[in-house]
Amino acid sequence: MALDFTFTEEQEFFRQMVRDAVNRLIMPRVKELDEKEEFPWDLWKEFAALGYLGLRHEEKYGGMGIDTITQMIFYEELARGSCGFSMSATMQILMGTYFIARFGNENIKQRILVPAIKGEKIGTICFTEDQSGSDLAGTRTLATKVDGGWRINGRKQWITNGPIADFATVMATIDPKMGLKGLNFYLVERKTADRDGFVSGQRLHKLGSRCSVTGELVMDNTFIPDENFLGEEIGKGVQYAGEILNEVRVMTGMNALAIAKEAMEDARQYANNRVAFGNPISKYQLIREKFAKFWAWYEASRTFLYKCAWMIQNKIPCINECMLAKYHSTEMCMYAVEECMRIYGGNAFCSEYPVQRFWRDAKFLLYGGGTHEVLCDYLGRIYCKE
Amino acid sequence: MDIYVLVKQVPDPEANVKVKSDVELEIENKYFTNFFDEIAIEAGLKLREKFGGKVTVLTVDNKKVDALRRGIAMGADDAIQITDPALEGSDPFAIAKTLAAYLKDKPFDLILAGRQAMDDDAGIVGPGVAELLGIPHVNMIVGLEIDDPKKELKVVREVEGGKEILSCFLPALFTCQKGLNNPRIPQVMNVMKAMKAQMKKVDLAALGLSAVDVGGQAVKIKVQKYLPPPKRPPVKMIKEDFPENVKQLVKLLKEEAKVI
Repeated sequence: MALDFTFTEEQEFFRQMVRDAVNRLIMPRVKELDEKEEFPWDLWKEFAALGYLGLRHEEKYGGMGIDTITQMIFYEELARGSCGFSMSATMQILMGTYFIARFGNENIKQRILVPAIKGEKIGTICFTEDQSGSDLAGTRTLATKVDGGWRINGRKQWITNGPIADFATVMATIDPKMGLKGLNFYLVERKTADRDGFVSGQRLHKLGSRCSVTGELVMDNTFIPDENFLGEEIGKGVQYAGEILNEVRVMTGMNALAIAKEAMEDARQYANNRVAFGNPISKYQLIREKFAKFWAWYEASRTFLYKCAWMIQNKIPCINECMLAKYHSTEMCMYAVEECMRIYGGNAFCSEYPVQRFWRDAKFLLYGGGTHEVLCDYLGRIYCKE
Repeated sequence: MDIYVLVKQVPDPEANVKVKSDVELEIENKYFTNFFDEIAIEAGLKLREKFGGKVTVLTVDNKKVDALRRGIAMGADDAIQITDPALEGSDPFAIAKTLAAYLKDKPFDLILAGRQAMDDDAGIVGPGVAELLGIPHVNMIVGLEIDDPKKELKVVREVEGGKEILSCFLPALFTCQKGLNNPRIPQVMNVMKAMKAQMKKVDLAALGLSAVDVGGQAVKIKVQKYLPPPKRPPVKMIKEDFPENVKQLVKLLKEEAKVI
């Protein structure tokens, strides 16, 4: 009886509570959030007041220290609402604060982590540059050791929360020739009158997830003190990044699950009500097949993702599984939103119906957590034992 | 103030409900806390914030305790589950009798409940408990003004075309209607507390009741038959061209659908 797929009564209750919060706070505003393309500060404050931003952090800093499976339940439910808001929130909860909590000294934790958990400071993580993203070895942002600290030079692109961020965990290299072995994480704060830091560059206008603001961060000979080096030794940045990549990939998969399910539920209602040739279109076999395929792939994705969450929680090595589950769930989501666009017919092409928003939001999942081309190349190589 | 809130877990409106047999429904396992009960919990919490004291959520249910968990998540101090196999098949009056048996020895100031449960829509339990305890009750309140728990208080009800203001002394029981307040969204810290909370269980013996007082043997209201709602009639396509099709549509709306 070792194999058990049930959630506990407590986890089901937690899901219900998150679902309820999303239904009340976010759902009524989804269309507006997408159309305005602005970060919703009022919603952020309301949401932060509920305490969810501290889900995975220690209680002494205002967090809840929650387990991985329950976290994933949270991500799945949160993404049902606005994908953009979910991206901003998960950046804050997971990637944006992880290395501060892991390596920051007490002063940094009190100054950065505690207000971040309260939602008073916004955080982000910076990997991508103009010539590197999934290819971390191509990182060119340079960290140079100087007396009492480091000088950082470089431009980071595609930074979620970038235009509004107060602090960033920046991946930089001590020497581009060292490839992956030269990479480290550094805490860089926004530049103020009395502190050196990053400044915002160009803001990007995205196809989907539009209320999550995304842009460039620029560091021009920026000085940071020694305590802002996030790590135990130089050159272990990639190893440290690996600590959260599994979670990031499963979390991305949870986003895919949520978008796919919302899109299909919406399309189901549409198909049951849209009449063509005297019948609701859900009576036609070619339409039914779309739902059947989705259903099969969705259940497989969901089971796989929660298996990965279980493996992470039980500290079972699962790098490949998490990549596979991210790949599978995101491709499932692509199938779901594409087919929903067809179920809606011409109506899919106008903004009056939400289906186009699901389609636009879903596209980002192909790149976050590693492009599928990079993932597949790696996974294929592992499978063939090259 | 010592406040008790009567709560119930009801099927989610999105849950599939099928007629299994004449007297039995098959309900998909999707439940949530009766929304009117959430309003009652919120009213209790607001009074506690003003006057201090304690809010206890109370349910009669053998299986589902999520309504109690929600009470704790919203901020209630205590949760009591009255549970006993003999309660299976109880009608609303038996539930009221059970709740009243629990409450009769308790030093309460106020009992709050939702105006009705969103599953059976009976609206009997709240007034039933008040009658059995011999305390004043007002149904479907949308306003509650208490300046001093020892003095006369005011409650507001909506009536046809206006509002009705009533007064009474505590202890009393009020059932709460939409508009009284906006129930709070629980903070995650309290959600976690609720996840770990152990509900205090009370059985019928502790209340001095037995199987003959409640459950199937004591029902005053029997379900005779469940009937599913009528299926949507097939779509009728009007084949005539304009303007004949409009005339035909108006005729059908008037004579067949009878909506105009």
